[in-house]
Amino acid sequence: MKWKKYLSLTRAGILEALQYRLGLFVMVIGNLIYLIIVYFLWRAIYASAGTDVVNGMTFSDTLIYLVLATALFAFMEMYIVWEMGRSIQTGAITLTLLKPMSYRSYSFWNCAGGVIVQFFCTFLPTFLVVLLVTKGAIPLGINLLYFAVSVILSVSINFSIDLFVGTICMYTESIWGINIMKQVVVLLLSGATIPLAFFPEPLKTIAYCLPFQSIYNAPLSLLLTANPQPSVIAETLGMQLVWSIVTMGFSRLFWQVSLRRITVNGG
Amino acid sequence: MHRGLRFYFCIYRKILAQDLKSKMSYRADFIISTIGMICTNISGFLSFWILFQNFPSVGGWSYYEMLFLYGFSLVAMTPVQCLLDNNWSLRYQVFSGDFVKYCFRPMNLFFYYQSEVFDVKGLGQMVFGIGTLIYAWVHLELACTAWMVLKLVVYLVSASLVMAALQNAAAASCFWIENSFYLLDLVMRFKDYAKYPMTIFNPVFRFVFTFVLPIAFIAYYPSLVILRPEAVPLLSWLSPLIAILLFYLSYKIWMKGAAGYSGTGS
Amino acid sequence: MSYIIEIKHITKEFKVLNRHEGLKGSLKDLFSRDYRIVRAVDDISMNIAQGEIVGYLGPNGAGKSTTIKMMTGILQPSSGEIVVNGQIPYKNRTRNAKEIGVVFGQRSQLWWSLPLVESFKLLRDIYEVPEAEYRAMLDLYRSLVDIESLLHKPVRQMSLGQRTLSDILAAFLHNPKIVFLDEPTIGLDVSMKAKIRTLIHALNREKQTTVILTTHDMGDVDALCRRIVIIDKGKMLYDNDIEHLKRFFGSYRTLKIRMDGDLQQSAEAIAQQMPEFRVSADTDWISVLVDEEQASVMAVLARLQERYRIRDMQLEEISTEAVIKKIYEEGTQ
Repeated sequence: MKWKKYLSLTRAGILEALQYRLGLFVMVIGNLIYLIIVYFLWRAIYASAGTDVVNGMTFSDTLIYLVLATALFAFMEMYIVWEMGRSIQTGAITLTLLKPMSYRSYSFWNCAGGVIVQFFCTFLPTFLVVLLVTKGAIPLGINLLYFAVSVILSVSINFSIDLFVGTICMYTESIWGINIMKQVVVLLLSGATIPLAFFPEPLKTIAYCLPFQSIYNAPLSLLLTANPQPSVIAETLGMQLVWSIVTMGFSRLFWQVSLRRITVNGG
Repeated sequence: MHRGLRFYFCIYRKILAQDLKSKMSYRADFIISTIGMICTNISGFLSFWILFQNFPSVGGWSYYEMLFLYGFSLVAMTPVQCLLDNNWSLRYQVFSGDFVKYCFRPMNLFFYYQSEVFDVKGLGQMVFGIGTLIYAWVHLELACTAWMVLKLVVYLVSASLVMAALQNAAAASCFWIENSFYLLDLVMRFKDYAKYPMTIFNPVFRFVFTFVLPIAFIAYYPSLVILRPEAVPLLSWLSPLIAILLFYLSYKIWMKGAAGYSGTGS
Repeated sequence: MSYIIEIKHITKEFKVLNRHEGLKGSLKDLFSRDYRIVRAVDDISMNIAQGEIVGYLGPNGAGKSTTIKMMTGILQPSSGEIVVNGQIPYKNRTRNAKEIGVVFGQRSQLWWSLPLVESFKLLRDIYEVPEAEYRAMLDLYRSLVDIESLLHKPVRQMSLGQRTLSDILAAFLHNPKIVFLDEPTIGLDVSMKAKIRTLIHALNREKQTTVILTTHDMGDVDALCRRIVIIDKGKMLYDNDIEHLKRFFGSYRTLKIRMDGDLQQSAEAIAQQMPEFRVSADTDWISVLVDEEQASVMAVLARLQERYRIRDMQLEEISTEAVIKKIYEEGTQ
């Protein structure tokens, strides 16, 4: 029965997300337009390149990669930093702190509802469209399973990073600034705007050493490889697992230290 | 309600000073927002750079030409960022009923509402944009005559007006739709796509981005006048007029929404 | 007797940045490290028994919400001891949370876009309320207020009164031992205020819930509280029965009389005749503040009637509001 309260929160999150039908609708349209732009842009880029394969990626590889990265982004972006920042500023956070569960699990399970709705409304349709349009460019096999596992780890890493960044809002009023910085850094260094394969050498190495590439690059590279080497799978998932634990540890520690600040110095 | 420009200018300066004062009191916010803005710009620049490390050109547009478009769109967006930033809070104000406080002032409602906030961090963006523009300008070996500069300024202004029109219309949707945040967010996402040349799209989408969602007027059509003076399409020459028309329309929509607004009260 | 809340000499200090004036000053503040210590709560002690309704009063910024935050475990006292329900709140916040309910003024803990019943179900699960108890609680609510019309309404469509009512019901839903109500009737109309007071009273009686109530509305105090605690500038000014407070000041009553002639002159004459009482006059009335421990109002009236032709009279009790105002102004001494 211990799980009931968490599942209940997730259910409420789903119900809440479904209330904003217009939002979902606009989101779908927005994604669609974005997909169109990405499609034409990269078609033009590849047309200018003169070769079919650049940095080991064909046009359809790049397209699938970017489209799915956007879809992943749309489904993982739960505006946690905004939510936290605003509730810290208005003091509404006290009401959540007075619930008989930790803030971390409270917001995780509440957001999980939104993530589930987003999965069905943005990621799955996009995935199916891409699957149909590219006609078999996405291998359908055991890689889907690795991908699923990898995405779950991505969600966890993304949540920890968001919580970490959101905690910073206890020290500053600048939600906007903090959020935009996070978004920019994550989107660029995770390979969501340009696949990491295109990065020039030193930058690529740096990106691979940071946790962000585990969010988008890791699951997508697992998905796009038909018969990956077991060692590659182990390495990718292992890396994600390590990052998931490390980011969780850091965000939890930072939150606890900062919470003490609230309880000592007021909100 | 016709008063001299001088009156409005004077009022604007006073309200602006108040806004700056309150901004300063959020010490770190000020600095962090500025850094955040710079980060956004650097990342945009980096994306370009990485892209052109791998590819020589995009749809017949060279690196520096693309940079020019990018810088142009950044500068064109600055006035909207700086002057019309209060559009972002319109939704909350209307929803909570606070908006009613603006309706009792003896001056233009749109002006008064927008004058309340001046977003300083937009200036950082402008500096970055101008830098990019000059960098591209020099590498493209464009002439620096008074005529060129005049063209640049006129077309920057018209690009700004288009941007402002899009934002106004999206923000004003909150007078009719409860959750208009998504619309505003969507429109703002488009501005990122404005920096791409329209030639990469097929005719259908070129039509859409010109006449339905006129993002082509934010950077592409105005830049053509400077970048490709030998073959300027009619739409480029018309873009200042179109910009004024669009802005006027959005202003009317905004004011109509505000006029129909009755405080929700509880 | 054991108490549900025991507070011994708690003090809470905050670090506050000194702000400067003007544009230049605000620029300076960007880099300033000029702090001062503010004592928000200063050596407060009190014990509260199960089932009491305590009115916690004080002007704005007196330290009320700081005290409440310490009782709920959101804030840690700088010094002193606080035990709620046998636990130290800030050390066991989540465990403490199960035994308390909170309504913070206009801040709703309900899920904005969902119908009320969904919020209730969610709270039921979060606080792990057994189904039978949950149903019993809803039945109790039904007997007290008309909730059927509210249950399926999204919270964002409710009026302020309905939302406050719902928030109070939500705070009592897990049958907590203590409920903190911070300004529950703020901004409501008279009939809604009455409804909410009746509800709080009934819930307190039914469930023996301890209620700590902060308010600026003396109507709330008169209707609900037997005991009141008053603080100002972080210091405790008063902690006792409301009756005691009234008696303390209530031996005073104001006798107001109207008569022909110049009221100012007559007032001066009366003041000379009865130097032990305070006499004043405005355009319509002469007021005599009578201390009933010295002479009854009737006796004073009789003495006045010997001399003057009194055309009209009024007798005014000192209201709680006036008493509290007096305490704010001069303290109990």
